[in-house]
Amino acid sequence: MRRMPALVVIVFLAALVTGCGSSSDRAQRLTLAALNTPAAKPAPSTPSGPEPRGCGDVTASLRPPSVMPAPGTVPAVSFMAKIERRGYLIAGVDQNTKLFAYFNPLDGQLEGLEIDMLRDLAKAIFGNPNAIVFKAITTAERISSVQDGSVDVVADAMTITCARRRQVDFSTVYYNAGQKLLVPTNSPVRSVKDLAAKRVCATIGSTSLTTLESKAPRAIPYRVQQRTDCLVALEQGLVDAITSDDSILLGFKAQDPDTKIVGSRFADEPYGMAINKTHPDFVRFVNGVLAQMRADGAWRAIYSRWLGKFARTPAPPAAHYDG
Amino acid sequence: MIFGTVAAAAEHSRAQAAQAVRSETEPLLVHAANLYTALSDANATATTTFLHGGLEPPARRAHYQQDLRLASDSLATLTREVGGSAGARTAVRTITEQLPVYSGLVESARANNVQGFPVGAAYLRQASAVLTGTILPEANQLYATEAKRLSDDYGTGTATAALVVLVLVAGVALVLLVLTQLYLARISRRILNVPMLLAGLVLVGVSVWAAVGLIGEQNALTTARRHGSDSVEVLSATRVLLSRAQSDESLILVNRGSDETDPVDFVRVIRTLASPGGLIGEVQTLAEGTATSASARRLVADFASYQAETAQIDRLESSGRIPGAIALASSPGSAAVADRLNANLAGQISAGQSRFTRAASDATSSLAGLLVAIPTLTVLAAALALFGLRQRLGEYR
Repeated sequence: MRRMPALVVIVFLAALVTGCGSSSDRAQRLTLAALNTPAAKPAPSTPSGPEPRGCGDVTASLRPPSVMPAPGTVPAVSFMAKIERRGYLIAGVDQNTKLFAYFNPLDGQLEGLEIDMLRDLAKAIFGNPNAIVFKAITTAERISSVQDGSVDVVADAMTITCARRRQVDFSTVYYNAGQKLLVPTNSPVRSVKDLAAKRVCATIGSTSLTTLESKAPRAIPYRVQQRTDCLVALEQGLVDAITSDDSILLGFKAQDPDTKIVGSRFADEPYGMAINKTHPDFVRFVNGVLAQMRADGAWRAIYSRWLGKFARTPAPPAAHYDG
Repeated sequence: MIFGTVAAAAEHSRAQAAQAVRSETEPLLVHAANLYTALSDANATATTTFLHGGLEPPARRAHYQQDLRLASDSLATLTREVGGSAGARTAVRTITEQLPVYSGLVESARANNVQGFPVGAAYLRQASAVLTGTILPEANQLYATEAKRLSDDYGTGTATAALVVLVLVAGVALVLLVLTQLYLARISRRILNVPMLLAGLVLVGVSVWAAVGLIGEQNALTTARRHGSDSVEVLSATRVLLSRAQSDESLILVNRGSDETDPVDFVRVIRTLASPGGLIGEVQTLAEGTATSASARRLVADFASYQAETAQIDRLESSGRIPGAIALASSPGSAAVADRLNANLAGQISAGQSRFTRAASDATSSLAGLLVAIPTLTVLAAALALFGLRQRLGEYR
């Protein structure tokens, strides 16, 4: 009978162990679930509808006031006065388009042709070219940020079109861009006619892409989300050519000397500054500032500062007024 | 004899599993986790360094290169030891092939960035896409495979079935011995048969030893998991996700407002880390009662200051003041918060790993000796019982 206590002990120990023992994989399940947090996917881009025909002279804008107010003396009841009370102008710009509007990582400053023109606008209101806050916006936000008032003005390589004019007002043309091709220096491509069976890069949602599809139907479009992705694709040999506005292509060429811009413009892309439709006084004011820049040589100075290395400075784009 | 075989089999499967956990599956999981964290951290470092533009601090550059070296080292070990699973081998091969593609794109991004070319941002975007789209999913796959193997070994190493079987068989053997003893006592009218008694004692002894050993092993292995490898797993995942948040945040700024996916990803990742039941909370739960509980509390505080800072960067960014946001994100204070979080996690991981090593070697040493003792002592008990039986039967001849 001396063995019974031992048996009891063993049974007791077994009971103890089943109670406290087996390990749980709770922490592991939590870990693996957390690591499987799905990556965000880009939203499918909606193709822009067909360009509506016939809105007369697409580049015509409102006539400037007969006498421009001196800086700091804008009319008390005007959108400019509201901006003046705030203390700074808010401008929506891109920050990746070299020569036009880009963030220079070397000195942490925004610079480019559009930035200079906007600073002149701030100077016309405040007498101070630095009374301005630049807001980075996406291509898709250009219209909505003007409409919801989060910016006073957008200058972002924005082509004036009839469709866009139904949503926002445009200033007179401040830059006449045109669609061209960028190819490696040793490429046989000389114009849009040579693009059959060539892979051609264009940005999704740009007018360049739709024009490419109509003017070079046998080209193989290579679509990217952001403008500069095209230059990467060209440098990696994924595409034979890039099509975009020559203004943007000049910026690409400045970043890669082994490329050249070829052919003649196969579509006109007049750029205007976009302004909310409820502020015609501001549209007139901006047109007045642009008219001064055309007249006093400021436009030419800005052009040659940014693009002089690549092209002879042309005459400023003529202003068209219709009201 | 049946008792011996069953006991030895139970002990053997436990011992093998404990040994595998200690010296094979857990170390492999750690290598997979190291690879995963090094790759994630490399991208976080590459993207935040990019924000410095032409003035790339040499320390950040060195940090990135160190990450790549760590990744290569883990990759080399995994290539050697990953063994059986075809999925794991494919994952290692894909990562080995794609890693140079990734680092090449990072170099292109860097070369363009130091010249002030915005195309650098496009290269960085592409590099990051290769990492998050191709390399990290494979690292994740590899990690999940190794985690599953470790979990299986824990299951075998702590299977209660082994103990139950052992106790039942020992009980049956003892009952048989007692019955034999009683039967012999009745027919021979002698109270005790000394060899039979000894056989019983040996059997009880070996049973208790085996039970204590198995319980000790089971408890040690449970501790190894709860306070060791569970912590290592949760902490490694926290590190991976924190790096992912940092990469997202930097890419948002690199893309300067023209980015749709990274802000979404950032919010998701922070939610996974922070929300009630998130990883940061789990780190704290697991660290309770261990030497790293203070570190876990500090982690919560540091994570809160990280969140406060990213909120401020986000406010600047969403109001379009990118230069201000970039200046803040690349400020020394920002880097200090990130470094503190990383150092804290690394310290806790190595503490968790040594807790694991200690407990796992307790587990294997609990069973040391039993492998020889069970068969030897069982044979001894059987021999004694037979001897005692023969003695009695001999008296009737």
